[in-house]
Amino acid sequence: MSAANPEPSRLRGLLLVAGREIRVRGLSKANIVSLIVTVVIVGALAALPTLIGGDDGDEKIGLAGANAAAMQAQLDAMGGFDITVYGTAAEAEQAVEDETVEAAVADGSLYSRDGVGNELETRLDAAWQAAGVQTNLANAGLSDQEIAGALTVKPLEFVTLESGGVTGPLDYFTGLVISIIMFMMLMTPVQYIAMGVVEEKSSRIVEILLTSLKPWQLLGGKVIGLGVISLVNLVAMVAVGLGVSAATGMLSDLPPGTASAAVSTVGWWLIAFALFGTLAGGVGSLVSRQEESGSVLTPLIMSLTVSYIGAIFLLNAPTSTFAEILSLVPPFSAIAMPTRMAIADVPAWQIGLSAGLLALAAAGALALGAQLYKRSVLFTGSRLKLSEALRRAA
Amino acid sequence: MLEIKDLHKRFGDTVALDGVSLTAAPGEVVGFVGANGAGKTTTMRIAMGVLAADSGQIVYNGSPLGVEHRRRFGYMPSERGLYPKMKTGEQIAYFGELHGMSRAAARRSAADLLDQLNLSDRAGDFVQDLSLGNQQRVQLAVSLVHDPEALILDEPFSGLDPIAVDVMGTALKDRAAAGAPVIFSSHQLDLIERLCDSVVIIGNGRIIAAGGVDELKAKEVKQLRVSVQTGEDLTASLPGAVTRDGDDYLVEDADDQEVLRIAAAAGRVTHFAYDQPTIAEIFREAVTR
Repeated sequence: MSAANPEPSRLRGLLLVAGREIRVRGLSKANIVSLIVTVVIVGALAALPTLIGGDDGDEKIGLAGANAAAMQAQLDAMGGFDITVYGTAAEAEQAVEDETVEAAVADGSLYSRDGVGNELETRLDAAWQAAGVQTNLANAGLSDQEIAGALTVKPLEFVTLESGGVTGPLDYFTGLVISIIMFMMLMTPVQYIAMGVVEEKSSRIVEILLTSLKPWQLLGGKVIGLGVISLVNLVAMVAVGLGVSAATGMLSDLPPGTASAAVSTVGWWLIAFALFGTLAGGVGSLVSRQEESGSVLTPLIMSLTVSYIGAIFLLNAPTSTFAEILSLVPPFSAIAMPTRMAIADVPAWQIGLSAGLLALAAAGALALGAQLYKRSVLFTGSRLKLSEALRRAA
Repeated sequence: MLEIKDLHKRFGDTVALDGVSLTAAPGEVVGFVGANGAGKTTTMRIAMGVLAADSGQIVYNGSPLGVEHRRRFGYMPSERGLYPKMKTGEQIAYFGELHGMSRAAARRSAADLLDQLNLSDRAGDFVQDLSLGNQQRVQLAVSLVHDPEALILDEPFSGLDPIAVDVMGTALKDRAAAGAPVIFSSHQLDLIERLCDSVVIIGNGRIIAAGGVDELKAKEVKQLRVSVQTGEDLTASLPGAVTRDGDDYLVEDADDQEVLRIAAAAGRVTHFAYDQPTIAEIFREAVTR
């Protein structure tokens, strides 16, 4: 009878536990529904700017009058306009009235139904100025080539004296999104891990499990399993967000570092998850009933919340000493550093130091969480104090 | 051969086990009996490695019992536990895999057990949606799914309905017949008497009686019971100390052949045998001694 049971490897035990978590929790109706809802919300948020901006196509502009040809040349060069040239200013005005075009420029006037947006106004104004200059220069007897040469101006080069410097609103937005995602992606699985540990403990199933598994396999498998579920959720969210942005043409408007920030965020998340996940398993094993799990999780949830709030503060003062310290000290650096990286230039050594310290803290958490778990997972009864748990023989 | 040798265990100031030893030979079904708090569960938990003894050891086939052998044991803890939000069939197969079976073999075994337990139609239901009795059956399947080579079961019969008791009893006997040592505890002493080859009685962390069921009964023989169809009262004429139990005479401290002769002379002897105590009586006697 024993011949039918080949020796399972240590890895197999770990993977079996992880696989069960993924099957039971990841494929549960609750998780799938919440994933779909989240993805829809993310997709809607990504599409929102375009939806608010109205039609995603070109701006319909009518032109008439003396400078119409020059204006058309300028607007074509800018791109993003659907131009109709009318014979007279009255026709152009009528086209605005009929809503055939968004706005019309004719004989030095900008016609619109109820004003135009700032951006459109700026662009039309710039085109008008350039067209005017061009016409004036042509009238002054310059050749087309000379005009082109005179109009070619090198755009302003931005030089920031302080590292980090002034941040644009989209950097702020990216940082905010990163901090929110990090916070959610840590908070949810951390609670699930603790709940799962308490579930196994309170149902006493852990006693059967531990006859064929080592405590580290049981805890490790749970952390890995929930990590995979969270990662899949995260990737789905990011993919839908970026996909919708790409489809609506928003992607090019995001700051250039967004993609790399998204990638490095996953790295930060992995280290932070190892830290918080194993600690959650360790403290979860201190209690025997689900309703007590809240009390032992409080320190973890508090430090996650503080990290998140700190990151929000940091967004408003990315170059402050507070920001530098917060993004170096674990566990706060887990959220603070990727947020800071999104909004400001961070010296490489600080990134390295922060990652190193966080990894060190994660290793410590791994050891502590595993020890706590090993020592208290079979203890049933009232809640164990941390010191009691550590004094207990494994 | 599974040997539990001289276990000692203290919880704080409480001595839970004070030199507990017992053995189960291949194919032997050992009943483990004791009052609540006597140390049965502690002994079994130590044997399964979920609790560490202060001293003493567990020896299996001549070497200390390690994880690799324990994984092939079947264990049912006193406090039952299953994942409430996992499908029944999936859950049984999962435990089979944890015990080292391939996925396919584990699924097959789970399906077989569910069939035996009349639970095939519930294989796709969550465990939490089953009745308590059916959950107990699933628990039983979990402990048997990997075709264990030894069984350590803490109160396996508690909470089982008569059908499940039969399935459980048959499973124990089958495992034993295949050469597995089986140790189980129970308060249902009639079951112990029916199923066990030997009995170990524990009280206050010590083994107070142990041996084969027949052997223990023979040792605890009480008195001679005689039934005679006669009109006269033989209380005075029979030798030794004679008492009445209904129409029967209970005779102690006498030569049984002489009792038989006198009884046969008085009338037709319909019953003539030494009373054997039940395991329950032996148990009561042992713990109060």
